[in-house]
Amino acid sequence: MRGFMTLLWLEYRRSRVWGVALIGSLAFWAWGLNQVNVRDIAEQLGIRAVLLGIAAALGGLVLSFMIGRIRSETRQGQYQILLLTPPAGYVHVAVRYVFALVVAVPYFTGIGGLVWWIVGQTGLSLDAGTVAQLVLVCPLYAIGALLIPLLSWTLLLMIFVSAYRISGSGWIPGTVMVLGSPFVLRWYSDWLIHISYTLPGWRLFEGVRALIASTTWGAEIDTSGVTALVLPQEPLWGMFLLAVVMLVIAGRIWQEVEG
Amino acid sequence: MLAKLDDVTKLYGKNEALRDFTIAFPKGEVVGVLGLNGSGKSTMLKLLAGLLFPTSGRVTVFGGMPRVNRARVGYLGENDALYTWMTPADAERFMSGLYDDFDAVRYRELLDVLEVPRRKTKAMSKGERGRLRLAMALARDVKLYLLDEPLAGIDLLSREKIMTSLVREWHTDETILLSTHEVAEAESLFDRVLLLRQGRLALDANAEALRAEGKSVVVAFREVLS
Repeated sequence: MRGFMTLLWLEYRRSRVWGVALIGSLAFWAWGLNQVNVRDIAEQLGIRAVLLGIAAALGGLVLSFMIGRIRSETRQGQYQILLLTPPAGYVHVAVRYVFALVVAVPYFTGIGGLVWWIVGQTGLSLDAGTVAQLVLVCPLYAIGALLIPLLSWTLLLMIFVSAYRISGSGWIPGTVMVLGSPFVLRWYSDWLIHISYTLPGWRLFEGVRALIASTTWGAEIDTSGVTALVLPQEPLWGMFLLAVVMLVIAGRIWQEVEG
Repeated sequence: MLAKLDDVTKLYGKNEALRDFTIAFPKGEVVGVLGLNGSGKSTMLKLLAGLLFPTSGRVTVFGGMPRVNRARVGYLGENDALYTWMTPADAERFMSGLYDDFDAVRYRELLDVLEVPRRKTKAMSKGERGRLRLAMALARDVKLYLLDEPLAGIDLLSREKIMTSLVREWHTDETILLSTHEVAEAESLFDRVLLLRQGRLALDANAEALRAEGKSVVVAFREVLS
């Protein structure tokens, strides 16, 4: 445990600028959302939703860069002072992953908070349950189904590349993995879609139609198509499993190279 | 025996770094590992540290595979591989968090003796970083130290401090393998001298016996090379 905490501290020292910058960027996005000044509420909501989508995508990208900075760990083909340290490769991988998640959770929760804010700007008065779903449940689902596997994949890719780089060209296995991954992902996601809703789905925003209808603008639009969101469990568990498998492989490679 | 290379050959592609190399290191020796550039010194130390696998032959450390026993070996590599943001205090936290055998009191004493400045490594000179790395390596309480060029790029006064520290810190049950080009300055430290030439062992001599013959290590070095 002491080794894990020390490596976590090391990761914090290595990557804190990235983490602080990412979480701090929420202030920028809040300012940007506030600058959207369109009279039409649907258009205003649409523009702000696109901005938040960009914020979420950029956040995922920044976290991927942060976790994938393995190359900077090597100098002349050798790891820095991590070389020969007693903790296993799995611990090194787990530490990087935990730190990325520690940054991701407040960032995406913050984005959930901004979603709540822009929805509130439309005049919708959300109940506590809906707010919790917007601010916590949706970001956590996105982290679990999208970000967790993305970060695992990035970590695996960079460790794979670095492992080969020590004795030769890392770009060859890197290219093979980058080109091959979409095919695997397509096959895997087809399977996940196939098995979705085998387990009961999670129902979110059940009262949203009534809330919309209660607003001045909601009375003027057709809300018959607005239904509760039913999130399937299977993609979350499936992607979580995929992420764990990739992390184990990444740890095993690290173990082989440095262990 | 603390460590052993048994008929070891190490190739880098087609380049031969070590060939049919056999040697053993008992407990309690300071061994000077000498040779010209490319003679195989660093390769030998990396094999013992478990950083490289032999192409053929067998390497054992503490009776087992070097990788298995890596935590029991203090290795100081030839590369300056410190994080630029690290201060000596950060290095202490790092080492004491990862190595059970790290002696923080000894480390701080070494920092004082070696006059390591308490600032980030990016603001240190090459020699100062070298002294910090040496303090980190020597503050571990292990029985086998592999020091690859700890004197490289370091000024004369600092080299003297390092050698004084090595003498002071050395315990009779510890073995130190010290690779260096600063033969004349370091020779008084050595109990045993190995001279490598093109991946082969050209000389394995007792330093005291050499001195008794009236030969300095430098002279023996030159004789073998000529």
